Amino acid sequence: MIQNYLILSVILFCIGILGVVSRRNVLIVFMSIELMLNAANLAFIAFSRFHESMDGHVLALMVMAVAAAEAALALAVVILLHKHKGKLDTDVFSLLKG
Amino acid sequence: MLLSAFEKVKLENAPFVSMGFFAAAFVMQLTAGNHESALYGSVFNGMFVSNSFTQAAGLVIIGCGFFTAMTCLTYFKQNNPCTMEFYSVLFFATGGMLMLTLSRELITSFISLEIMSLAIYILVGYDRKRVTSTEALLKYLLLGAFAGSFFVMGSALVYGGAGSTKFAEISSFISTHSAGTPLLIGGAFFIFVAFLFKVAAFPFHAWVIDVYDGAATPVTGFMATALKAATFTVFANFLALNGAMQKEWIDFLFYIALFTMFGGNLIAIGQSNIKRMLAASGIVHSGYLLIALVAISTESFSGSVIAYYLAAYSVGTLGIFAALSYLGGKGESRMSFDDFKGLAKVRPYSAAAIAVFLLSMAGIPPTAGFMGKFYIITSAISANQMALAVFGVISSILSMWYYLRLIIIMYFQEPEDTFEIENSIFAPACTFILVFCVFALGLYPIVI
Repeated sequence: MIQNYLILSVILFCIGILGVVSRRNVLIVFMSIELMLNAANLAFIAFSRFHESMDGHVLALMVMAVAAAEAALALAVVILLHKHKGKLDTDVFSLLKG
Repeated sequence: MLLSAFEKVKLENAPFVSMGFFAAAFVMQLTAGNHESALYGSVFNGMFVSNSFTQAAGLVIIGCGFFTAMTCLTYFKQNNPCTMEFYSVLFFATGGMLMLTLSRELITSFISLEIMSLAIYILVGYDRKRVTSTEALLKYLLLGAFAGSFFVMGSALVYGGAGSTKFAEISSFISTHSAGTPLLIGGAFFIFVAFLFKVAAFPFHAWVIDVYDGAATPVTGFMATALKAATFTVFANFLALNGAMQKEWIDFLFYIALFTMFGGNLIAIGQSNIKRMLAASGIVHSGYLLIALVAISTESFSGSVIAYYLAAYSVGTLGIFAALSYLGGKGESRMSFDDFKGLAKVRPYSAAAIAVFLLSMAGIPPTAGFMGKFYIITSAISANQMALAVFGVISSILSMWYYLRLIIIMYFQEPEDTFEIENSIFAPACTFILVFCVFALGLYPIVI
């Protein structure tokens, strides 16, 4: 039973990684990161059921709160980017080469 | 110990008030008992534990905060002025770092890691009008959030494997079962990825150079020192939770340390901008700290080597960034090696201070950097990591190349610039206090 949930969680996590690596639009990259966080939440809940304790539920709530804070900052950055460049591609930034 | 309160004061007074708070926190941290104890055990349920290691790390972090606030005072006279919130965000970052050093639970670590990171993101992108700082912010935020999600996934897997996220319970699970179950290996791997990212170790070091370059100079100094101190403390605590855990990962960390040192050196040699060179040398110093992590023995773990090296590295790096922030001029116009030609003839004291910091980072006696490296190499030898000790020494010699290059440029070339700077005594004062600290820390172990 738990395997199914874990497999789903890992698949979501991998989709998230793929999104971060391959997409160029900043918003989509941030959405992919949220997807990765939620994949971890799913794993937490599944393990929480598996261990029959409530810890995992609480932890998932904490992670969601942090994810919301991060999303708020990320959206501020998106607005800043749009003011500077007028578009949201990660490609337009090449001032710092590393 | 944890303070992120801030009073409503005028902008001119803000740095003084924040310096006062940092000083008060430093004294409190110094006088707090250094015995192993769970803080507010009934409220936090043993999630925070303090001992002499976390105390030392806390002192380093608060000290970094103090000198950063002092440097900012001068820096913002020459550059785009900041608002009040800058200093309160600085406090949030420091609070997160202190929580991170104390935390003994994965999700607490994650939350304090994010408190720290979110505040640092804001500090990096504080100058909204500069495109470079926005670009640095974007890169840092994207990769930082990416690493953060790895950390959460790792904690989820460890929770699944061990049934708890508390370090103590994971440790007792490992001693009754084994550290080699797939869930624990996978979980620990993800967590290591996140930590290695935060300390800019080998495969995850690319961001650090751009971000350090794009951020304001005092902020860069703060990031390079306090952030590293906090992350390495929690990294060491996590690694030291059980001997079996450390054995499982020692080979992995061995190679990471090796590649981090040499990769960092190669990048640093090729840089022409001082801030980027210092960022790359920060990667090398992460490599040395990773040697110390490989060499820690879990039975008698005190973290004294790591804490000492962090302190030694912090005074050197903070000092040079303090010097750069007042020598940098308007809008950080002087930042490449060539801009510092003949500094010693125009400003002999500043040049001497920078030379002291560089020699400390290169590890020349009698500075603090030498003692730090000495301890790390001896701890590696006593842990039977001969190869790592030898590579550490070689990398230290390689790093002389770019440290001495700046000294040569400062001392043996004719000045082309008059080095006009804003008349403000705070950053220079901070620099000279830190010069004193370099020698004091270097002699401290001999005197005691």
